[in-house]
Amino acid sequence: MATITRVALDGMGGDNAPAEVVKGAVEAVKTHKEIHVLLTGKEEVLNRELSAYDYPKEQIEVINATEEVEMAEPPVYAIRHKKDSSMAVAMKLVREGRADAVVSAGNSGAILVGGQVLIGKLKGVERTPLAPLIPTAKGVSLLIDCGANVDARASHLVQFARMGSVYMEHVIGKKNPTVGIVNIGAEEEKGNALVKETFPKLKACKDINFVGSVEARDIPKGDVDVIVCEAFVGNVILKLYEGVGSTLIHKVKAGMMTSLRSKIGGILVKPALKETLKTFDASEYGGAPMLGLKGLVVKTHGNSTAKEICTSIIQCVTFHEQHINEKIGEAIQNAEE
Amino acid sequence: MEFEELLKIIVEVKEDANIEDITPETRFVEDLGADSLDVLSIVELIESEFQITISDDELMKISTVQDAYDAIEKYL
Repeated sequence: MATITRVALDGMGGDNAPAEVVKGAVEAVKTHKEIHVLLTGKEEVLNRELSAYDYPKEQIEVINATEEVEMAEPPVYAIRHKKDSSMAVAMKLVREGRADAVVSAGNSGAILVGGQVLIGKLKGVERTPLAPLIPTAKGVSLLIDCGANVDARASHLVQFARMGSVYMEHVIGKKNPTVGIVNIGAEEEKGNALVKETFPKLKACKDINFVGSVEARDIPKGDVDVIVCEAFVGNVILKLYEGVGSTLIHKVKAGMMTSLRSKIGGILVKPALKETLKTFDASEYGGAPMLGLKGLVVKTHGNSTAKEICTSIIQCVTFHEQHINEKIGEAIQNAEE
Repeated sequence: MEFEELLKIIVEVKEDANIEDITPETRFVEDLGADSLDVLSIVELIESEFQITISDDELMKISTVQDAYDAIEKYL
């Protein structure tokens, strides 16, 4: 019998909640019998949304939560004072052991604060990074940290490298994943104070397959599996990645419409182009997991559609089945630096 | 409330801390290496365990274990 993965889903979080969130939950349980969704939020609203779908009823359970965290609300305030919010209730389900993971498209800051405060860090974990998979020419790489710790220290980055390696090896199936630190040059002596301090520490780690610096232009090539950086840098990389990608697609499409010749050419290349671009579609890879917690927290885009919500829910299955938290805990505890 | 109950909550969040080394004078940040979110986690567990709500003003004043103990006692 397959292991059941219980996912607490923040039903009211995100720009498109609850409609797209509920639709995403329905799509996930329709294709995955091993998923049980605990949908948190206003019972009446969620049940109304659910009534529009035909789905295996026993796989979605609505858990009432009377409050909502607004997208622009101060994170600490939201977690401290909205104890019955759909987000807080979902996280408490994990803390109480009633759920294995949380998925939310809600207020990013509140998710980061809530993850640490309501679920808690694994023993020995100093900081909990946000680590999305980003598409590359060779598949996917893990960008860690992309938004949780803007003032990270060298010891934090070393832990990020360990957590990222565990994730890439056991969730993505990449044996002995390579680790690189984002830098402004390939040489060890390049970089700011944080990179210069971290580089030799990573090099000395026997349990990390450290390959040195990675420059931003080489990230899309996919030569490095785990891309380590502090959150400010990671967030800039992620947003630039998304921005350049969408601008390029827009320009290619516009270019195809400029003449009859290009339109015909466009029709001919469209199927191949669509297939190629699909591999670069971030929504195919789910949300960003927050690693190092006593449960899994997956943060999806604020404007997530049902597809992204569904992928994020499914993403929790491998994480749970592979006991990633236990493996991260072991990697941190057994670390030799 | 017994002082030991508070200690158990503190080591639940700061698992690396040795319960026998914690005294009323122990400072969360300087001595236990806690960050602001760790302190918030401890307060969250206290509130949940004792069914109380510590005000934000009092939360800001918590620096030592004794401060936390005094804040809880006010509400019990």
